[in-house]
Amino acid sequence: MTQATQSVTVLDPEGISLKSVSLWNITLRRLRRRKSAIIGLTILSILTFIALTAQWLAPYDPYTPLIGIEEVKAREAPCIHLLGCPETKPQHILGIDGNVRDQFSRLLYGARLSLMIGFSTVTFAIVIGTVLGALGGYLGGWVDNVIMRFMDVLLAFPSLLLAIAIVTVLGPGLINALLAIGIVSIPAYARVVRASVLSVREMDYVSASRALGGSMTQILFRRILPNALTPLIVQGTLGIATAILDAAALSFLGLGAQPPTPEWGSMLGAERNQVFTAPHLVFFPGIAIALTVLAFNLLGDGLRDALDPRLAHVS
Amino acid sequence: MTTYILRRLLSSIPVLLGILFVTFALGRWIPGDPCRAILGEKATDAVCNDFIHRHGLDRPIPVQFGYYIREVAQGDFGRSFRFSKSVNELLVERLPITIELSFAALFVSIIVGIPLGVISAVRHNSWVDVLTMLWANIGVSMPVFWLGLMLAYIFALALKDTPFQLPPSGRLSPGVLTVPFYEVWNLPLQPGSFLYGVLDFIARMNILNSLLSLNFEVLRDAVRHLILPALALGTIPMALIARMARSSMLEVLGQDYIRTARAKGLRQRVVIMKHAFRNALLPLVTVIGLSLGGLLGGAVLTETVFNLSGVGRILYDAITARDYGIVQAFTVVIAIFFVILNLLVDISYAYLDPRIRLD
Amino acid sequence: MKRNLFAILSVMVLASLMLAACGGGGAQPAAITIEGLEEKDFAPVKYEAPNCEYGGEFKSMEAVDENTVRFTLCVPDPAFPSKIAFSAFAVQPKEYLEFTGATGSILEKPIGTGPYYVAQWERGNQLVFKRFDAYWGEKAKTETLVFRWGSESAQRLLELQSGTVDGIDNPAPDDFAVIEADPNLQLKPRPALNIFYIGMNNTYPPFDDERVRQAIAMGIDRQRIVDNFYPAGSEVATHFTPCAIPNGCVGDPWYEFNPEAARALLAEAGFPDGFKTKLYYRDVVRGYLPQVSNVAQDIQAQLKANLNIDAEIEVQESGTFLDNADSGKLDGLHLLGWGADYPDQTNFLDYHFGAGASKQFGNKFPDITENLAKAAQLASDAEREPYYVAANNAIRQHVPMIPVAHGGSATAFKASVEGAHSSPLGNENFAVMSIAGQDTFVWMQNAEPISLYCADETDGESLRACEQVTQSLLGYQIAGTAVEPVLAESYEANEDLTVWTFKLRPNIKFHNGFTLDAADVVESLVLQWDAAHPLHKGNTGAFSYWSGLFGTFLNAPAE
Repeated sequence: MTQATQSVTVLDPEGISLKSVSLWNITLRRLRRRKSAIIGLTILSILTFIALTAQWLAPYDPYTPLIGIEEVKAREAPCIHLLGCPETKPQHILGIDGNVRDQFSRLLYGARLSLMIGFSTVTFAIVIGTVLGALGGYLGGWVDNVIMRFMDVLLAFPSLLLAIAIVTVLGPGLINALLAIGIVSIPAYARVVRASVLSVREMDYVSASRALGGSMTQILFRRILPNALTPLIVQGTLGIATAILDAAALSFLGLGAQPPTPEWGSMLGAERNQVFTAPHLVFFPGIAIALTVLAFNLLGDGLRDALDPRLAHVS
Repeated sequence: MTTYILRRLLSSIPVLLGILFVTFALGRWIPGDPCRAILGEKATDAVCNDFIHRHGLDRPIPVQFGYYIREVAQGDFGRSFRFSKSVNELLVERLPITIELSFAALFVSIIVGIPLGVISAVRHNSWVDVLTMLWANIGVSMPVFWLGLMLAYIFALALKDTPFQLPPSGRLSPGVLTVPFYEVWNLPLQPGSFLYGVLDFIARMNILNSLLSLNFEVLRDAVRHLILPALALGTIPMALIARMARSSMLEVLGQDYIRTARAKGLRQRVVIMKHAFRNALLPLVTVIGLSLGGLLGGAVLTETVFNLSGVGRILYDAITARDYGIVQAFTVVIAIFFVILNLLVDISYAYLDPRIRLD
Repeated sequence: MKRNLFAILSVMVLASLMLAACGGGGAQPAAITIEGLEEKDFAPVKYEAPNCEYGGEFKSMEAVDENTVRFTLCVPDPAFPSKIAFSAFAVQPKEYLEFTGATGSILEKPIGTGPYYVAQWERGNQLVFKRFDAYWGEKAKTETLVFRWGSESAQRLLELQSGTVDGIDNPAPDDFAVIEADPNLQLKPRPALNIFYIGMNNTYPPFDDERVRQAIAMGIDRQRIVDNFYPAGSEVATHFTPCAIPNGCVGDPWYEFNPEAARALLAEAGFPDGFKTKLYYRDVVRGYLPQVSNVAQDIQAQLKANLNIDAEIEVQESGTFLDNADSGKLDGLHLLGWGADYPDQTNFLDYHFGAGASKQFGNKFPDITENLAKAAQLASDAEREPYYVAANNAIRQHVPMIPVAHGGSATAFKASVEGAHSSPLGNENFAVMSIAGQDTFVWMQNAEPISLYCADETDGESLRACEQVTQSLLGYQIAGTAVEPVLAESYEANEDLTVWTFKLRPNIKFHNGFTLDAADVVESLVLQWDAAHPLHKGNTGAFSYWSGLFGTFLNAPAE
C-alpha cells in the first residue's frame, strides 16, 4: 500500500507537468493566431506597464491641487503645446479636474487601481467559488443542495443591485465594494467548478486514486480540480472585465472608491454634472474603463477559443 | 412536460424563501437610523423614538421577520416610510417605467442585434463581419452610465437645433399631460379595485397608453424621450445578441442539412431564412431571456443618468434613505421576476429543442 | 413567426410616428371640488395648555371671532412673526382637514388660498398647477405652472438651454459664467443666508485642546476654498451667522489665515508633526456647500500641506451622518452647514451652541450659552446686541467649529422671463413671473416634492411647491426676508411679547370656494401643536418644523 501510493506520487508531478506544458504550448500557439487576443494582450501589457510605472510617467502628483502652484483653473480644458496651446501655459494633455489636479496623472494612477480591482475580486471569487463548488460537487447530497440553493439565491438578484445592497450594509469604500463584487461573482465560479467535478467524479482514474487510498483533499486538488482549470481561466478573464465595470458603476454611484483616490469610476461620477461644461473630465475616464474592459474581453474570448478542444480544427 | 414544469416550480420554492430571508436581512443590516434618514436633520430625539415605535422597528428581529413573511404571503408589502404610501401603490407607480424602458432597450437590441449577427455570419470574414464584431466587443465593454452621458451630450447638446436633437431626461415634455386610456374609453371603474390597479399599471406605460388612447402627440413625445435611455441600456444586450446570433448561425450554416438544402438548389435567401435562422434561434432565446434580467441592474444606472424615476432609481434612493419597505418589496419583486424568467427560459428551451430530455 | 412579430411591431411604430404629427390635446381638469365636503359655520374656539411645564412655547390659541386669532405664549418671543410666517404653518379649510384626517389625499391635493391650485401631480414626472381665478390678491400672471425636477445640475441647465423649461434652481457654480454669458438666459443670484462650517467635537482628543482647534482655524485658507469652489455671490464667513441677519456679524471677525502661527500653536499643544484624524461628510449638495467632494478634498490637502494633519475622508450616508453628528459620535472633523428657516439669530446660534443644542460639538461653553439665553429674552435688536457680541467673541475664542463660507447659489431663467427672482429663503414666487405670449411656465428644481402637506415636510423642494398653493398668516417679502401680512392684514403684540393678536383679511376664498375664518387658522395649527389631536397625522407624523420652532408638542407621548 505504501509502495503503491509512493509510486503514484512519483509519477504524478511528471504526468501533470508534461500535460500542462503541452497544453500551454498549444494554447499559446492558438492564441497567437487570434487577432483579437493579440490586441487584448497588447492593450493589457500597455496598461500593466502604465500601472507599474505610473509614478515616473505621471507629470504631476495625482493628489496635490495645483492652486497657487500654477496658473490654472478648476476644470480647464486640455492644453497640449503640439496642438497650438500657447507655450506660456503649462501643458495638461487631458485638462484639469474639479480639484485643480492634473487629469492625465490621475488617469495613469487609475490604471493601477482598476487592474488591482479586477484581479483581487476575481481571485477572491475564484477561491471561494472553487471551494464551494468542489465541496458541493464532490460530496453531493444535502451539502451540495444547500450550497447550490444558496448560489441560486445569489443569482436571483441582478448582480449590480445585490452589490449595491451589500455595500450599503458594509458601508461605502473601495474594500467593501471589492468584497461586494467578489461575493456576487462567486456563484459563476462555483457552478463552473461543480460542473467539472461532477463530470469527472466517477471517472476511472479518480476511482482508481480513491481505491488507492488518496485523501479527499488530495483527490480533489490533484485529480479533479485540474480539469476545472480551463473553464476557470476563461471565466476568470471575462470575470475581470465584469468586475471592473461593476466597480466603476459602484464608484460612479459614490459607493466605491472614496476621494481623493484616483479611481476611474469615481472620477467620472464626481464630474458627471460637468458633462456639458467640461466633457473631457467625463470622456477620458470612460474611455479608460472601456479600453481596459475591452482588453480583458478580447483576451477572454481568445482564450476560450484557444482552450476549447472542440474548436481545435477551426484554428 | 407538466411534471418537468412542476418540478422546476417546486425547486424554486427554497430559492424564493432564501430571497425573502436575504431581503429582510439586508433591510435590517443596513446601518443607520431610518428616522433621521427620512425626517431629516431637524428631527428631535422624541420625534424619532415615536416614529420608530409607530413603525414597529423596536420589536425583536425574529418577530419582525414573522410579520414580514405573513404580510408578503398576503401580497402586502407594507408601507414606505418616506412616501407614506403602501408599497403596492408605489410598485404600480414605478414598475411600468422600468418595464417600458427595459422592453424598449430589448426591442432595440433585438432589431439591431439579430440582423447584424445573421449578416455577419452569412458574410463571414467580410468587412461587415469585422465591423460588427468590433462593435460587439466595444459594446459590452462600455460602462452604461458613461455611454448614457455621452449620448446625452451628443444628442442633446452637440446636435442641438438639428432634427436629431433628443431630450436628455424625463419621460414627457413639460406640459404634456397624459390621460389614462380607461378614462378615454369611459370605462366605469372603482378606484382601488384590482382591475383598476391592473389597468392603471398598463396606463402608466406612456407608449402603450398613448397607443390605446390614440393620442399620437403624446406617443411621439414619449418615443423621443425613450430613445436615448433605450439605446444606452440596450447596447450591451445588443452586442451579446449579435455575437450569439453570429456564432449560432455559423454553426448551423456548417451543418450537413444546410449543405443539402443548398445542393438541392434552393435560393440562398430561403436557405438562410427558412432553414438556418430557425435553428439558430434556439440559443438566442436564452441570451434574450437572460439579458432582460441583466437589464434591471443596468436600469439603476440608466435611470440615474436620464432622470427616470423607475424601479432602479427608487431602489437606490430607498437603500440610501433606509426605506426598508421599499428595499424589501422591490428586491423581492425583482428577484421573483428573475426566478420566473429563468424558469420560462428553461421551459421554452425544453419546448423548442426536442433533443433536451425533460427529466 | 418571429419575423411576423417584427413586421407588426415596426408597422405599429412607423404608423404611430407618422401619425404623431397630428393628434389631439389632453383634457383640462376643472377647479377643485371635493364631493361630500360641506362648509360649516364659524364658531369661536379656544385651545389651552393646562400649564407651561410641558416644554413648548404655546400657552393657548383662540379663534376669538370670525376674523380674529389670538395666541398666548409661555415666554416672550420677539421672533414670533418670523416664525409664524413659515410655510409649514399654512392654513387649510378645517372641514377639509377633518374630511381627509390630515393625511392621505391631502398629501397630494392641498386646498389653500394661494394664487395657484394643484391640477395634476403625475408622480415621477411633473406637478401641474393652474391659476386660481378667485385669488384675493393680484392674480397669477401665467395660467399654468409646471414643476419638474432633476437631481443633476447639468441636466437642469441643458433643459433650460434647449428651451424645454423656463427657469431652473441651483445651476452648478461652474455654470454661472456660462449663464451670464448667454444672451438668452439670466442669472439671479440667491443671497447667502446660510453657513458652511468645519465641526469638531471637543470631547475627543486632540480636539479637546483649545489650541489645536485654534490652530486648525488659522491653518485653513478659507479664501482659497471660496475662490475655487464657490460661485460668485459667496463670501468667506467672518462669523457663524450671515450679516444679513440682525446682529449676525457683531463682535470680532474670524482668525486670519496664518499657517506659521498655526503650526507654532499646534507644536505648543504637543503636535509638532501633526496627527492623524478623519474628515466626515455626507455627499449632499446644499446651498452652503455646492461642491461637497471638491471642498472636502481641498480641506484634506490643506490640512496636510499647512499643518501636516492626515485626515482620511469618510463619506457617510446622509441620515447616518446627521445622526452621528447630533449624538456626538464623530471623532474627527466634520463638514456640515445650516440654512436659515427664519431670519433670526436664535435660528443660527441657539440651535448650535445654546444650552439646548445637541452634542455635535461636545461640551458646551457657559460664556456662550449664558449670553445666548439672555439675548433670546429681549425684544429689540439693539438690546440684544451686546450679548451677541459677547457670544460671537466667545465662539471665536473656543472654536467649537470653523465657519468657512456663506454659500451663494442662484436660480436661472430665460432672458424673456419677467419678474424673475430668487429668494434667500428658497421660496420663489411664480405667480409674479411670466413670459409674454406664453400661458405655461415651467420650473425645474432639484427633486420631486415628497408631499404637498407642508406642515409635515422639511425639504425645500416640497416647501417651494406648497408655497405656490397655501399661505400662512404672514409671509416673507418676495425675494427678501422681511415679514409681511398675508392672510392677516394686521397683527399686534402686548408689551412683553407673549400675547399676539392677528386680524384676518375678510372674504378670502379657498380653492374649493370656502371662506377663510379664524377657526380654519386655529384648526390648521392646533393639530400640529397637540400630539394627541386626532388629526396629528400628516405624512410621517413628525411635524418637525413645529417642534423645531416652538418646542415640545402638547401631550407629547411619554418616553
